[in-house]
Amino acid sequence: MENFLQAIDTLTTRFALAIVVLPLLAFVINACLHGRRNKLAGWVSTFAIVTSCVLSIFVFSKVWNQHQVHQQILWFTIGDIKLYAGVLLNNLSALMLLLVSFIALPVHIYSTAYMKHDAHYKRYFTYLSLFCFSMLALVVVDSLALFYVFWELVGFSSYLLIGFWFTRDKAVLANKKAFIMNRVGDVGLLTAIIIIYTSFHTFDIDQLFGANALVKSTALHLPDGWQYLAFGGIFLAVAAKSAQFPLHTWLPDAMEGPTSVSALIHAATMVAAGVFLLGRVYPLFNEQELNILAVIGCLTAFMAATIALSQNDLKRILAYSTISQLGFMVMGMGVGAYSSSLFHLITHAFFKCMLFLVAGIVIHELQHIKQANNLDIDAQNIRIMGGLRKQMPFTFIACLIGGMALIGLPFTSGFLSKDGILVQAFDWADKKDWVFKFIPVVALITSWLTAFYVARLLFKVFLGENNLLKLNPSVKLTISDGGWQYKFPLLFLGICCLFPFFSLNPISSEHAWLLKGFSFVAISPTTIYHVVIPIVLNVISLLVVYWAYLVYVKRALSSFSHGNFLFKFSYHEWYIDRFYDRFIITPVMALAKVVKWFDITIIDGFVHLLERIGIVCAKIVEWIDRYIIDGIVHLIAAIAMSIGNFARSFQNGKVQYYLFSMLVIILAIFLFKILI
Amino acid sequence: MISLSDFLMLSAGLFCIGLYIILTKRNAIQVLIGIELMLNAAVLNLVAFGKYDKFNNSGQLFALFAIVLAAATTALALAIILNVYKKYKTIDPMKMDQLKD
Amino acid sequence: MNILSLLIFTPLLFGIVIMLLPSSLRNSFKYITLLATLVQLGISIWMYLHFKTGAEYAGINTESQFQFMQKLPWISLDLGTLGKMQIDYFVGIDGISITLLVMSSVVMVIAALASWEIKDNLKGFFTLFLLLNTAVIGVFCALDFFLFYIFYELMLLPLYFLIGMWGGARREYAAIKFFLYTLFGSVFMLLIIICLYLSVKDPSTGNHTFNIIQMMNPANYDANSVFALLAHKTLLGMPARTVGFVVLFIAFAIKVPVVPLHTWLPDAHVEAPTPVSIILAGILLKIGSYGIIRICLGIFPDVAASSAFWLGLLGVISILYGALNALAQRDLKRMIAYSSVSHMGFVLLGIASFTAEGVNGAVMQMVSHGFLATMLFFLVGVVYNRVHDRDIYNFRGLGTQMPKYTVFIMIAFFASLGLPGFSAFIGEAFSLVGAFESPATNGGLTYWMAIGGSIGVILSAAYFLWTLQRMFFGSLSLKGGDGWKTALVDLSTRETITLLPLALLALILGIMPSLVFGKINDSVLALMHFIMNK
Repeated sequence: MENFLQAIDTLTTRFALAIVVLPLLAFVINACLHGRRNKLAGWVSTFAIVTSCVLSIFVFSKVWNQHQVHQQILWFTIGDIKLYAGVLLNNLSALMLLLVSFIALPVHIYSTAYMKHDAHYKRYFTYLSLFCFSMLALVVVDSLALFYVFWELVGFSSYLLIGFWFTRDKAVLANKKAFIMNRVGDVGLLTAIIIIYTSFHTFDIDQLFGANALVKSTALHLPDGWQYLAFGGIFLAVAAKSAQFPLHTWLPDAMEGPTSVSALIHAATMVAAGVFLLGRVYPLFNEQELNILAVIGCLTAFMAATIALSQNDLKRILAYSTISQLGFMVMGMGVGAYSSSLFHLITHAFFKCMLFLVAGIVIHELQHIKQANNLDIDAQNIRIMGGLRKQMPFTFIACLIGGMALIGLPFTSGFLSKDGILVQAFDWADKKDWVFKFIPVVALITSWLTAFYVARLLFKVFLGENNLLKLNPSVKLTISDGGWQYKFPLLFLGICCLFPFFSLNPISSEHAWLLKGFSFVAISPTTIYHVVIPIVLNVISLLVVYWAYLVYVKRALSSFSHGNFLFKFSYHEWYIDRFYDRFIITPVMALAKVVKWFDITIIDGFVHLLERIGIVCAKIVEWIDRYIIDGIVHLIAAIAMSIGNFARSFQNGKVQYYLFSMLVIILAIFLFKILI
Repeated sequence: MISLSDFLMLSAGLFCIGLYIILTKRNAIQVLIGIELMLNAAVLNLVAFGKYDKFNNSGQLFALFAIVLAAATTALALAIILNVYKKYKTIDPMKMDQLKD
Repeated sequence: MNILSLLIFTPLLFGIVIMLLPSSLRNSFKYITLLATLVQLGISIWMYLHFKTGAEYAGINTESQFQFMQKLPWISLDLGTLGKMQIDYFVGIDGISITLLVMSSVVMVIAALASWEIKDNLKGFFTLFLLLNTAVIGVFCALDFFLFYIFYELMLLPLYFLIGMWGGARREYAAIKFFLYTLFGSVFMLLIIICLYLSVKDPSTGNHTFNIIQMMNPANYDANSVFALLAHKTLLGMPARTVGFVVLFIAFAIKVPVVPLHTWLPDAHVEAPTPVSIILAGILLKIGSYGIIRICLGIFPDVAASSAFWLGLLGVISILYGALNALAQRDLKRMIAYSSVSHMGFVLLGIASFTAEGVNGAVMQMVSHGFLATMLFFLVGVVYNRVHDRDIYNFRGLGTQMPKYTVFIMIAFFASLGLPGFSAFIGEAFSLVGAFESPATNGGLTYWMAIGGSIGVILSAAYFLWTLQRMFFGSLSLKGGDGWKTALVDLSTRETITLLPLALLALILGIMPSLVFGKINDSVLALMHFIMNK
């Protein structure tokens, strides 16, 4: 088992390693470059990712629907166990490799323009390359230990990028929150990995979850408690990384980072890592656990969609829609729509990345106006936008395509993947109790909510009148689509959002080539849902979009009241942050204060008490020593001294006294003689 | 008739007077006189007890020796007193306390 | 001359040289000290490279398996009918010692470089510094308990003066507290040493002996002696061997430090000058855990294995308690001192698991914490030297003012909070692996302990990130105003040179943990085998 190399695979493995290492090299080179604005950094990073892209196409072609490649070398030995580090290339990892490098490429190009004027241009690309390295490594590693390493590195580079503008307090608070919440998930994952390791004594993903999955073997299986603990850990990890309820609140705040970063990390790649993890360890779960996943995913999707309805920050809306779509994926995993879920991961990555890039362009252009005219506006607030389609038609079309894909309208990639999940959710619920029917129904409602908020966003930003002009008529609108660095990524991603890229049949998701790669879980036979659901879904979605059109563009219907409870509930994001603040952060900080008090008062107090007792004892002993023991000594000395003084008094040098004392002594002797 | 005890009484009286003078007087000459008195009390005793040795007269003999010695010591004492006076400008024995060292 | 003795006494020789030199050469003292530590580092690296691995070199309880050994009769008094006193100068190392020796040598070089800040009474400082150096290295090498104890006590004297004379405002208080705490433990340790001496006989000569390795063999105990395994004697109404273990454990636990015996640490660390803080955190704490592994586990394996639960409990308490305390501090150095308590808790947890993974992880954590704590305290010293303030609330936005410094702070913080790729992650992760494995394999620990340890990992992220956010990010705002702004210059070349190797070491050990595991694994396996077969 030291090295089971096969000559053909060696090249593939080397290429895969090169894909991973190139961004790392870029990171190291950039870190060593001089000058904060060194434009070379952008080129180094972009070159690395372009090469990775090309290589990943090669690797994909070698691996997709062929035998998997798995090579490893000895990393270190601990105890009696040898740990291996290696590369595992199968359909899933090859696909993810391709996805990550293909999303990263347009983002890199986009960033060269987007960050052009930033004072820390070099640092940006350094971090970005670090992220690409971690993310690419995450998808190819073959051992859970290494998976954890890169899982956390991904979180770390996301931390760096969220706090990229570290002089802004909000950004710094956001990255702290993101890292700590992710840490909760990381610890969950670590726990799960250790539990798996202690039961099966290996970290090897292939052995654990591959063709002859150890976790499914009857000889070695996890005890019940451990099974659920491991699931709990993995769930926490997924919830943290993929922003599922209850650990989702970091993602909206993470929008404080540069928009290009949001597009790459917080829309397409890193947040998908949770779903990817589910895909990797899928055989571990039993039925109840999958049910939990379905419920949580569905709840997250619904919650995020309701919140997205009322937000005014452009990026926040998109962030919540990301959470919502991730909820769909997790739910898909839960209902057994394994392949559709991964499919949705891929399609979502493209259209969501594009939507973020669009948002970035809009925000960037508005920033320029804001700076040029010294306006006091929030460049991300959709209420000041409107009618931008005239100035930026290209961006508008891109946004339209992205929005359609997000809603899941036909002829887009979103239709293929999302409908697949929904249909399978209905199929799944059919086989269960009536209670489970709620899940697909709620998911359906969520889809309509999605349609509404996407339409609201689109209409408020690009249609209608320009609110900025209305408020400040003097402003000159110098807005445009931007240069090729903006247009090319949008074009590229836009094409990837359309159906031909995934399936030649625009209305049937079952024919997508992607799904053929994951025969892991068989797709259920055709039922009535396969026809009814897409039709109902899309017809009502279109109606919802039209309704939004009436509300926001035509102003035919009155807008919603801002006073009612439901609006507030949605606007304040279900009060979850406030809940955490009050019930987790405050108590922990209070506990810390109590512990500090305990340390100073009780433990150190005890030490000081001992000290004081020691001192008091010492004082008592000292008193005894001084007045009793020393007193006796002094008494003896005093007696001796007084006798001495008495005797000395005779020795005064006066002859007559001497004689007198002689006389007295003689008399005394006589008296003595007489008396005795 | 004068008995032995009368001599002894006189001698004791002389001795006591001499002792008193020695202890109380603030003049070295007077102290010397006191010493003479005590010496003579002792000589008187020697002579008085001489009656028990009528053949050798050792009592009288000792008395003579003592008187001669007394004269010598007195001369010596006066010389000392003179020297003391030269050094201390006083002959009060209480003022001379160098003897303690 | 034996290379190991050379390693131990090199600093002492240099110390004597410094002592003899006239004070007019005082500016050269730091260079002499640096030279001494560099020579020492060179020797230890040479030893590391020539250290032989494999099961036949495991050490632990087999005298012949120790390397670079030197054994000279030292005190051998003929006591007539009572036999002969047999105290040897006996030094030698196995896998566990060698990694700690290299780590200590590196830390000593860093501490010597940090001593540049010392401005007064240089002769005294550097002489004591080198004396301390000898004692510390000696502890890691000594295999005779008497010798061990001498080195162990010899550390106290220089430390007392180093803290008490060159320390901060409350230095006398801290020095005395530190001294009394440690002495409290070691005095009782001496009693146990004497009891052990009277119990153990060298089979070859028939004399009582202080040889630690012979103390590990139950056959060497007199049948009726206090600590004989089968005699089941009692001391103070408790089994004698348990008492012996507990007393030795307390002595070392004070050094580690284990909650609730830790309160000397924040005071001593805060008051000590930077180089002494570095030595305290980097090496002294490791002596505690080293003592637990080598002495407590080695001599009383039966008691150790049965008290795993309590050791683990103390470990978890230390982890959580230290982390929570760190979260509540506002003095940067105190915060780091408490983080040390938390991180050393992982060492104890790993040891208590009594699994190869756990103990390997514990040793890794010791080595890693040696480097990282050194780095952290050095970094605190940098700010403190510039403005003589360490209050976290008095700084803000240092990231723009001192970018290089912030990079190193971030490396040190993230490495300490267990970011994968750095050594602390390997140490903590494998300590936790051990803790999770223990309930199933030997039943020593319970599951919730492992989970408690994991929560400590989250808390450590919280306090480090909070500090980062509070002190280094945001817009620049300092309590001292413009005066501080001019004082807070970025890292000098000397400081960068000092920090860079530490950061690299932490990184290299994180990527290639085999550098440590390769050396210690055989010894750890031998130790586990030894304990489990009792």
